[in-house]
Amino acid sequence: MAKQTFTTGQVLTAAQMTSLQQTAMGGGSATAKTASYVLVAADAGTTVAMNAAGATTITVNTALFAAGDTVFIQNLGAGACTVTAGTATVATAGSLILPQNDAGILYFTATGASIFYDYIQVGAASPLTTKGDVYTFSTSDARIGVGANNTVLTADSAEATGLKWAAVAGGSMTLLSTTSLSGTSTTVSSISGAYKHLYIEVANVQWSGTVNDSARIATNLTSLSSYIQAKIPSNQGTYLGNGVDYIDDGGQYMTGDNGNNFMTWTIYNYASTTDMKVWDLLLIYKGSSSNGRVSNWQGGIYSKSAVNSFTYDTMASLTLTAGTIKIYGVN
Amino acid sequence: MTKPMIRIHNSETNEIIDREMTVAEFKQFETDQKNNAAFRAEAEAKAIAKSALLTKLGLTEDEAKLLLS
Repeated sequence: MAKQTFTTGQVLTAAQMTSLQQTAMGGGSATAKTASYVLVAADAGTTVAMNAAGATTITVNTALFAAGDTVFIQNLGAGACTVTAGTATVATAGSLILPQNDAGILYFTATGASIFYDYIQVGAASPLTTKGDVYTFSTSDARIGVGANNTVLTADSAEATGLKWAAVAGGSMTLLSTTSLSGTSTTVSSISGAYKHLYIEVANVQWSGTVNDSARIATNLTSLSSYIQAKIPSNQGTYLGNGVDYIDDGGQYMTGDNGNNFMTWTIYNYASTTDMKVWDLLLIYKGSSSNGRVSNWQGGIYSKSAVNSFTYDTMASLTLTAGTIKIYGVN
Repeated sequence: MTKPMIRIHNSETNEIIDREMTVAEFKQFETDQKNNAAFRAEAEAKAIAKSALLTKLGLTEDEAKLLLS
């Protein structure tokens, strides 16, 4: 029964009393609407029920209701129902979207202004503020800001929300950097020590001219003396010292005009400051007198220092003109 | 005199610096070049001596490898 002004001596009919029970007295049931609906003046003080499989809207317009009027809105259907401002405003501290089995009261503060009190989220403001935020809970609703790239959401009872972003505990490779080779040497510095092992790929290296030369790799090349010290012509590559070696194989040098070479170098336990390190190296390249050679070496770095930089150059310090270094952290 | 360029890529900040070698680096570079030339010359001399010996013995390289296997 729509809100109305009764007059002295007016007699209510049975139908009007039944309708009154269904609305103001909360008895009986409202007839559900199965499609989007625009509120009318007669809805003041009544229940508007929505029951649709797909999404619907209930539109609120001005000049239909007076200050103090209310409309109870409920959604019975699977499709979300959105309370939508038409020509009247609709404010809320919760959500204007009613999922199935949610409800709320639309309360008019003026004919053109209303407030929607969402039952589920009444009074609750979303804590989400930033791209990637996760909605969680501690003793109240809370947000967790997005984690660093490649981290995963991990349970941790020590955290207020019981959750945190963390590096993958095992079985993962994380690309730390991609570097184009340039100059007479290229160094990747400040390598993160947050992983168990380091996996380095160097692909498609070329250098100026068609000169045959040996490529060299080094870790922690921070002083000239360590570089010289490590410069031992160990053809078969079981060296030594600071992890510098020549990449050649019994006098077969890489050719600078062929970029189809590919090298992987895995340094185990690279971040340790208490242990020496061991490594595996695999290389395929065009030799100076052969179409293709494959080498597989193992070696060690006789240093307790954590590996935090990688340098690539050639024995004759030729200018590197192409090629890419990719460094991955491995857990 | 222009010194050779080198590249340093900071993996943490992703900053890439292309710069000339410092005086100390260039000095080292020149020493490297000298050592490299000596190393290459030595390797080449060995290869020539090896080839001369094989010729003297009348063997091919593969035949010599067979003998040593």
